[in-house]
This record gives sequence, structure tokens and C-alpha cells, in this order.
Amino acid sequence: MEAIFQIIVSGLTLGAMYALGSVGLALTYGTMRMFNMAHGVFMAIGAYGAFFAADVLGLPILLALLGGIVLGGVVGALLHLLVVRFMLDTKDFEINILVATAGVGILLQDLLLKLFGAYPFRQPVQIEGTVELGGVVIPVQSLAILFVGFTLISAIAWGLTRTSFGLSIRATAMNRDAARLMGVNATATYLQVLIIAGMLAGAAGVMISSISTLSPDMGTNPAIRAFVICVVAGLGSVGGAGITALALGLIEAAVQYYIGARFGLPLMLALVVIVLVRRPAGLFGREEVVRS
Amino acid sequence: MMNDVRNNVVGGLLLFFALACAPALVGERYLLNEMIVFLIWASVAVQWNVLTGHAGVFSLGQMLLFAIGAYTVAMTNTYLGISPWFAMPIGATVAALAAVLIGLACLRLAAAYVALLTFAISYMVYVLIITETECFTTVGGGCQRFFGGTSGFSRIDDLGFRKLLRGDWIVGNYYMILGIFALSFLASIIVIHGRLGLAFRALADSPVYAAARGLDRTKFRIVAFVFSAFFTGLTGAAYAAHFRTAGPSLFDFSTLLFILAMVIVGGLRSTWGPVVGAALMMGMVEIAKDMGEIRNTMIGLVIVLFVVLMPDGIAGLSRRVVSRFRKTNDAKEAS
Repeated sequence: MEAIFQIIVSGLTLGAMYALGSVGLALTYGTMRMFNMAHGVFMAIGAYGAFFAADVLGLPILLALLGGIVLGGVVGALLHLLVVRFMLDTKDFEINILVATAGVGILLQDLLLKLFGAYPFRQPVQIEGTVELGGVVIPVQSLAILFVGFTLISAIAWGLTRTSFGLSIRATAMNRDAARLMGVNATATYLQVLIIAGMLAGAAGVMISSISTLSPDMGTNPAIRAFVICVVAGLGSVGGAGITALALGLIEAAVQYYIGARFGLPLMLALVVIVLVRRPAGLFGREEVVRS
Repeated sequence: MMNDVRNNVVGGLLLFFALACAPALVGERYLLNEMIVFLIWASVAVQWNVLTGHAGVFSLGQMLLFAIGAYTVAMTNTYLGISPWFAMPIGATVAALAAVLIGLACLRLAAAYVALLTFAISYMVYVLIITETECFTTVGGGCQRFFGGTSGFSRIDDLGFRKLLRGDWIVGNYYMILGIFALSFLASIIVIHGRLGLAFRALADSPVYAAARGLDRTKFRIVAFVFSAFFTGLTGAAYAAHFRTAGPSLFDFSTLLFILAMVIVGGLRSTWGPVVGAALMMGMVEIAKDMGEIRNTMIGLVIVLFVVLMPDGIAGLSRRVVSRFRKTNDAKEAS
């Protein structure tokens, strides 16, 4: 019984982090058919931003967390203004943007390496200590991750469904030309989407680094999980990504407990292959009608 | 169409001849080694272009197939004592078999999904390799993991040129690698300018119309995967045979992007682009070596600049220049 409780807690913590990492990715793909290969580096940038704010500038951790999130948003905005803006409406956009963002990713990762070195710093933005709940010892940081993940994702869900800003994002995602005719500024919407995705990635980076360490390539592993989650959910399905993230977090925690930590990711990927072979558009995606 | 094949094959043979003369002109071992590295990556880039540029399948798993070839040579040599010469075709075949499986998994997927799935599969293999902890045997007092763990395989038997040519052994290796590159490039020319390439491009451009004309999408997609995997695996096997090592560093993201940059710079959908791109990227990285640790920054920058400003690469640029030149010539003749 305790084991199950333990698995649920660590699974939900993993799931909350995965959800933070994948919802932004799903949102960008859903709105502009852009898959951001630099997403993992965005996480690392957020993590280093919070580290810099807390360790070098000496800000309190709440402000430092905010700093990491804002920095993620700034990088997202720059990506749009310097690269994506020029590629919209070009031939083979979906593939070209994958290549371009992969280039941006390696560029930024190298920059982080130059600025901070490869030394695995400890993330100062975290709460220490443990609490005991029903006979199980839980790190306070796990609860903090759950709280941050839940708050941010609820905020995004609320923004997307209840505000005019969210309406214009959803309208652009559904049909860009129609949205434009109705007076939605598609280019501005894309910029906003990338800022939100960058902020979510920044938050995910701070959370992930708080339970491991900082390194320029710390985003690779979580980004691959985020890719997997988005693919399983169906690219572009934001709600589906959140649900899939929680489910995969729980499954992974169980696998790690019963089979071994080494097989967490490989089994998750095996699951993905099976899902994709059965349902090529993902669990929550709609089959697209191929037109030519 | 036959003319097309003939012109390109003749061009290819001229290139191979020029490259075959290189050891007579290049005395330095370092430079010859750099040329070997160029030939290896050029061969991988050529095959990537066949799969992505012509068949329209954007795979990020090319280095996995390369690694399968390399690991096959390393493992059969370490555990079974099989000579690298025999292991190379085996490695290529294993890579081709792996490609059948990957191809089947990707069969019904759209472009972006294929890229992500192949990327995820190769990352999964990488994680399984580096997290292996149990020793399979002990070699020279050290622990040898079945798939080599983080340290990989070293001390693979050499190709026999050290005995035969002594100090000039690298010349022997050079010709072996040149042979592999020549095979890979000639095969790609024949495919691209043949009926197979036509089918690949038809299915990539308009899947529904191509299917309506009786082209089997499943069959051609698997064929494209297997064809490019065979030669990519063969090149990987040759890599292991030359460097006498194989390890998880083959899965480095920067290596994958380095080769992707070659394809992009040279131009997707071309024939000669990847070779030109490989030469340019090798030259650029060589210059970058003197300027400190900026290799990855430059690779990233080149990729972004080319995708944004020149998505057709150098091949596309030369096509435009040639067609403009022809137009002005025609105009002159007309007047």
C-alpha cells in the first residue's frame, strides 16, 4: 500500500513536470504547425536564468523562479522575431522549421556552455525538507513542483478557453485564413504563442533542475519525453498532452519501482511505437484527410 | 533520363579518379585522415538526401543506422573474432533489417511524426547503451559490457594494411573508404535518376495522385528506408574498421546536426549537393578549429541561415544561376 502511494506521488510529480514541458510544445504545433526542436534548450535557459537570479543576483527564490520563466518567454519571442517570422508561409514549413530550430538549439546550448561551463551546478531555487504523509516521506520540493505545474497549467487552460486572447489562438489554430478575415492578427498570435511556450519551458526547466542538477544539455532528456508525450497525445492537442503527461509520469514511476530506473524511458518509447502503429495521429489527434 | 544517369555517373567517376590521386599529392597523414572523415560523412549525407530529399521521409535516425553498422563490426570482432572485412557487409545488412522495422513503425505517420519517432528511437538505443552496468566479459582486466557501455569498443583488429604497407597503412584505409563512398554515391545516382527516384518523388510530391497511378506507397517507403540504411550502415561499419573504435559518441546530437548541415547547405533534392555540402562543412569546421571552441555555434548558425535564406542550398542557387544564364542567352539569340 505504501509502495503504491509512493509511486502515485512520484508519478504525479514526474507527470506535472512532463506536462509543463509538453503543453507549450503542443500549443506551438497546434497553432502554427511548428515543432520546436530547441524546446529542451529553452528549459535549460530557464533553469540557468533562475540559477543566475538566485545565486549571482541574490534574489529570493520566488522572484528567481519568475526570472527563469520570463527569460524563457524572452527567448521564445526572439526565436519568433529572428527566425520563425521569415519562414511562415514558405514551402515545406513543417520540415524546415524542425531543421532551423534544431540549429537554434545547438547554437543556444553552446552559448550556455560558454557562459556557465559544463559544471553541474545545484539549482538554488528549491525548497528543502520533507513532510510525512500517511506513512510516506515526501520531499517538499515534490509538492512545490505539483503546485507550480498545476497553477501554470490551469492558468493556460483558463487563458485558452475563457479569454479573447485564447479565442484568437484557438481560431488561428483552427483556420488561419478565416481567423485573419475576422480581424485576428495571426503574426501577433504566433508571437504570443511562442512567448507562452517559452515561459512554460522555462518553468519546466527550473522544476527539473531542482530535483537533479544544472547542465547545458539538461533539457535533452525531458524534451524527448515532451516530444513523446505530444506524439502520443496527437501533435497539437493541448489538453491531450496534459493528460498523457500525467499518465506517462505514473507509468514511468511504476516501471522504475518494479523493473528498474534504466527501463523507464525505453519502455515509454516502446509504448509510443505501439500507440503510433495503432493510431498514427495519436490518442487525442484527429486523422487528417490527405489532400493533394 | 538515361542521359541524366550517364552524365552523373561520368561526373562521379571523374570525382573518384581525382580523389584516388590524392594520396600521391597529400603526404601528411593528418590531411589524409581528414579526407577519410570527409568521405565518411559525405556518404552518410548522400544517403540522407536520398531518403529525405527525394523520398520525402524526414528521418533523424540516420546516425542510429550508422552506429548499427559500426557496432556490428566492433561486436563481431571483439566477441567472435570476425575480420572487419567480413563484418562490414554484415553491418550493412543488420542496419537494413533495422530499417525495415523502423520503416514499418513510421509507415502511416506524417512528416513531423516520422522525424520525432526516429529521433526518439535512436535516443532510446543510446540510453540503453550508456546505462548498461553488467560486465559481459573482462578484456585485459577491464570490464567489457555487452554493448560497450559508456566507453564503447576499442582495439578492433585493423584491416591488415599495417602489415602490408607499414608506415603508409593509412593509404590502404583511404582507398577502402573511397571505395565505400564510391559505391554509396553511384548507387544514389542510379536510384535518384532512375525509375525508383521518380517513384520516390512522385509519392513525396502528391501521395494520392501517385497512388492513383498505381504506385505502392508502403513498398516504396520501405525500399527508401532500407536502401539508405544499407549504405549508411556500410559507411558506419567502414568507420569502425578505420578508426578501430565504436562508442556512444556516435549518437551525439552535434554529429547528427553536422551531417544535416551538409545536406541542407548542399541542397535537398539534388544529386551532388550533399557532397559539396560535406566538403564545405568540413572546411568550415577546420577553420573554426583555429578560432577556439566554436564548432557547434557555427553549425547552428549555418543551419539557421541556410534554412531561412537559402532553403534549396547551393544546388538550388546554382540551378537558378544556370537558368538565368540560359534565359539571357536565349534572349540574345532571339534578338
